[in-house]
Amino acid sequence: MAVVTAPAPRTQRQREVRRHALIYLGLTPFLVIAVFPIFWMAITAIKQDADLYLMGAVPFWFNQAPTWHNFDFLFHNTSYKDWIVNTMLISFWVSAITILTAVPAGYALARLRLPFAENLGIGIFMTYLVPAIILFIPLARVVSTLDLQDSWWALVVVYPTFTIPFCTWLLMGFFKTVPFEIEEAAMVDGCGQLGALLRVVLPVSWPGIITAIIFSFTLSMQDFLYSLAFVSVSEEKPVPLGVATELIRGDIYFWGSLMAGALLVGVPVAIIYNLFLDKFITGITGAAIK
Amino acid sequence: MSPGGGPPPPGSLSVTLRPRARAVSWWRTPTARRYFFGYTLLAPAVIYVALLVGAPFLFSLYLALSDASVSAPIAHFVGLENFKSALENATFYTALRNSILFTVGAGIMKGLLGTTLAFLLLQPFKGRKIIRALVVIPFTLPIAVSVLGWKWMFDSQFSVINWALNRLHLIGAYGSPDWPVWLGQPGLALLSVMFVNVWRGFPFSAIVLLAGLTSVPPEIIEAAKVDGASFLTRFRKVIVPMIAPILFIGSAFDTVFTLSDLSIVYLLTNGGPDGATEILPTLAYNTGIRGGALGRGAAISLFLFPLLLPAMVLLLRTLRRRQY
Amino acid sequence: MSDGRSAETASPTLDRRSFLKTTGALVAGASLGDMLLARQAPAQIKGTSLRMLIWSHYVPAYDVWFDKFSKEWGDKNGVKLRVDHIPHLELPARYAAEFAAGAGHDLIYYAGQILTGQYFRNLVDLSDVAEGLGKKYGGWLDAAKSAAQVGGAWYGVPDYFISIPVLWRKDLFASVGMGEPKTWDDLRKAAGALKAKGHPTGMQFSHCNDANHNWRALMYCFGVKETDPSGQNVTLDSKEMREALKFAKAMYDEGMTPEVFSWDDASDNRFLASGVASWIHDAISAYHSTRVTNPKVFEQTFVVPEVAGPGGTWNVGEPNVWAIWKFSKNVAAAKEFIQAIGDSQKDAMNASLGYNMPFLKGHYTKPMPYLGNDPKLAKLQDQEKITAFLGFPGPMTPAAQEVVTTFIIPDMFTKVARGAAIEDTMKWGVGEVRRIYAKHKAS
Repeated sequence: MAVVTAPAPRTQRQREVRRHALIYLGLTPFLVIAVFPIFWMAITAIKQDADLYLMGAVPFWFNQAPTWHNFDFLFHNTSYKDWIVNTMLISFWVSAITILTAVPAGYALARLRLPFAENLGIGIFMTYLVPAIILFIPLARVVSTLDLQDSWWALVVVYPTFTIPFCTWLLMGFFKTVPFEIEEAAMVDGCGQLGALLRVVLPVSWPGIITAIIFSFTLSMQDFLYSLAFVSVSEEKPVPLGVATELIRGDIYFWGSLMAGALLVGVPVAIIYNLFLDKFITGITGAAIK
Repeated sequence: MSPGGGPPPPGSLSVTLRPRARAVSWWRTPTARRYFFGYTLLAPAVIYVALLVGAPFLFSLYLALSDASVSAPIAHFVGLENFKSALENATFYTALRNSILFTVGAGIMKGLLGTTLAFLLLQPFKGRKIIRALVVIPFTLPIAVSVLGWKWMFDSQFSVINWALNRLHLIGAYGSPDWPVWLGQPGLALLSVMFVNVWRGFPFSAIVLLAGLTSVPPEIIEAAKVDGASFLTRFRKVIVPMIAPILFIGSAFDTVFTLSDLSIVYLLTNGGPDGATEILPTLAYNTGIRGGALGRGAAISLFLFPLLLPAMVLLLRTLRRRQY
Repeated sequence: MSDGRSAETASPTLDRRSFLKTTGALVAGASLGDMLLARQAPAQIKGTSLRMLIWSHYVPAYDVWFDKFSKEWGDKNGVKLRVDHIPHLELPARYAAEFAAGAGHDLIYYAGQILTGQYFRNLVDLSDVAEGLGKKYGGWLDAAKSAAQVGGAWYGVPDYFISIPVLWRKDLFASVGMGEPKTWDDLRKAAGALKAKGHPTGMQFSHCNDANHNWRALMYCFGVKETDPSGQNVTLDSKEMREALKFAKAMYDEGMTPEVFSWDDASDNRFLASGVASWIHDAISAYHSTRVTNPKVFEQTFVVPEVAGPGGTWNVGEPNVWAIWKFSKNVAAAKEFIQAIGDSQKDAMNASLGYNMPFLKGHYTKPMPYLGNDPKLAKLQDQEKITAFLGFPGPMTPAAQEVVTTFIIPDMFTKVARGAAIEDTMKWGVGEVRRIYAKHKAS
């Protein structure tokens, strides 16, 4: 160890290491809480059924050989393929409807100082106070009038009822953070209100819009009651309904396949979300993304 | 802007400056254009919600005031009978108390954890991408299945958590008195269902915050830094005001979501044992839908409505008025 | 009350010989085709379509059989048939939606939660089909009427019921010097002795379906009557109920562990499969699944239809009933299908591995399919004599259903097991039940 070393780089590096250590330390509880169950679910997905009931066994590893049987079962003995496609399509259409309605609405509420808009906005929010367990009954009538019973299109019609209010308000919040100046600058350049919205405000609000899309996606995948009430045909079911109704038979839970079914849907969404968000985050410290 | 025509010639009778006939009708003013533009933008959302939620919403209010059943949704008006009936039910008070405890407790935890996580994720560090994807998964998993996973994790015999705690010598083995029965002991059961709600929800808070924080233009932060503000001051005076709207909205919605969420409790304990985890949605569902008494079920689930409505209105009004 | 048979269900007269030949062939495992030939459906349903919603049977093999049966029926009769399965606990929500929508399936199914009393004004009167089947197969059990009749008319046709017997571990009982349990006291004694050896028992003290059934079995065996036979007056406030509660508390203290408060419908199955349980009170699906998950347990587990209490021996079953929405556009085909499945009960019993118990007395001639061949399950052939359903001795009224779906009985037992005073618990529980019945009377 040389006596004279340029002190700056070493301390800098030490600082980096320490900083990293602190961050990892801080993240550990979150990782344990969030990720351990996922890890456990993943292991369960490739475990044999009998392995789950061994009292002496280590739950985090295998006592009997791991198996792809659960995935196999999922794809060959259930309509999982249909469910995944349905879920993706439903989420896509619902997100599309949500963005097309919530982006303009959020912008209007955030920017345009409209009379009555405030009450309209609050009214939109109030709809959340009526729970789905009551709403599904009149909505059943709506669905059957549109002749969409037992089709996943019924869900495309119904899900925006809970994604639109939330995304409107979320986007409203985002649009409020866009500085007036850039909009004004654009309008001075001759854009007009709509042009300013499209050309200046939207690009800047990408994180918010992406977030709204992700929320539409995930909120669509959370629903159970509406899909139960409106879809009973196996091939039209979305993943949550299909998995919960066909992989549980009375006292028998097909744990392995249940976990596999959930992970196959949830993990890609998480990954895609992460990919998109990365593109637009510059980081509050201004540092480049690693 | 001068009235058209210039000053009247001296000496002429005044009948006034006939103001130049209003060149522009109100409909063409910028204000009107703005209104038109604005309401057009608002229209799709409002119409959608009004048709698909507004009308059913009114119908639900009507249900709560009638003696409807699942086989007779259009029935006789009974005024506040259903609400009175709810108040006569001892389980109702338990459900109400649990609902409030659940929502407030879980909300606080989610806020704290979500904020901390959001800040941690903002820092640049190796592996951030992977970790960010991982911590988001609890929220992206379909709730029906992730809750079932927790059911197994909390199992009275095969609980993974107990197994781990036992191996760490923190609790005794299966069958010993300190083997926790997560969903069976009264206080523990409520905490367990709250925990699952927090587990699912704090990524949600973190995402909302993260998005909000990243929307703050870095120039402003730099400016504050340059001005010599410490991290805490920066946080308090610059960042918080900017993310406050998003924070509020996230919390408000989260509160409402949690208050009306049925799935976690329904799948884990269905309100048991003996009402330890009974919340308003499960009581309403079991009474109104499975039990068939639609009117009374509606009343139970709408019970908090008269309280929440003014609270939310207040909150949202404040939010909208925020100048920032 | 319709008495005669309508033309569409008048069957070609089967003489005794061909009847026996057909059912005999079934028992021997003859093909479904033979069975279907015994009845020709009227031509008017050819070319129509029929939608059916039933539950997901606990025994997967049964659903395989059923789907095949219905497809063959559809092909044979030129009916385009669609069968949907969902878990039985979710059926009521679905029916609420269908009714509100005024559209959905034609033929529906009540499994466990019987909604005949709730929806009868919107269901097709099926007295002709039900009476026909009754006459053909030796008459209906009394319990069948409580599930499917309202005001003397049949608005549903009972299919089968599921009984919930006692599954006990012969080896464990032997190790404490006990043989087959005959009374609830025996069960209590065994649990107490075996708990010390690490083999307690467990019955759910929680908000689940099994809790509703198990505790009612105990209650009825102690002579408790939920209502009078009309189903209108609550008679829960009795000495017998207090005795039942006291007994349950004692049994819990002596023979169970606190984990039972967190149990759901599948927990006792797992308990048995893990080898820990000395006995459980559960449907035989629990026993069947140990064949795969724990063969040692499977060997040592035996079955008793029910044990006796001071008030008799009553086993609480879960009935399953067919019904047809009035808004259905194909009532004729639906009725035909009910008739067809009613004629195929023996095949069904086999396919369900003895799980399905018939509602028609004629099907109890021994040996019964599957049960008759399995020495362990043979005793279940007398199950019909001791079967009761929730609401006993009254019918399954909407009020009785609401008491079930809000878990008042399990809550009463849970409170007592946790140490609450019997009188306080009675006051609360009976008060709640009366309140619910009053509400239903008022509306």
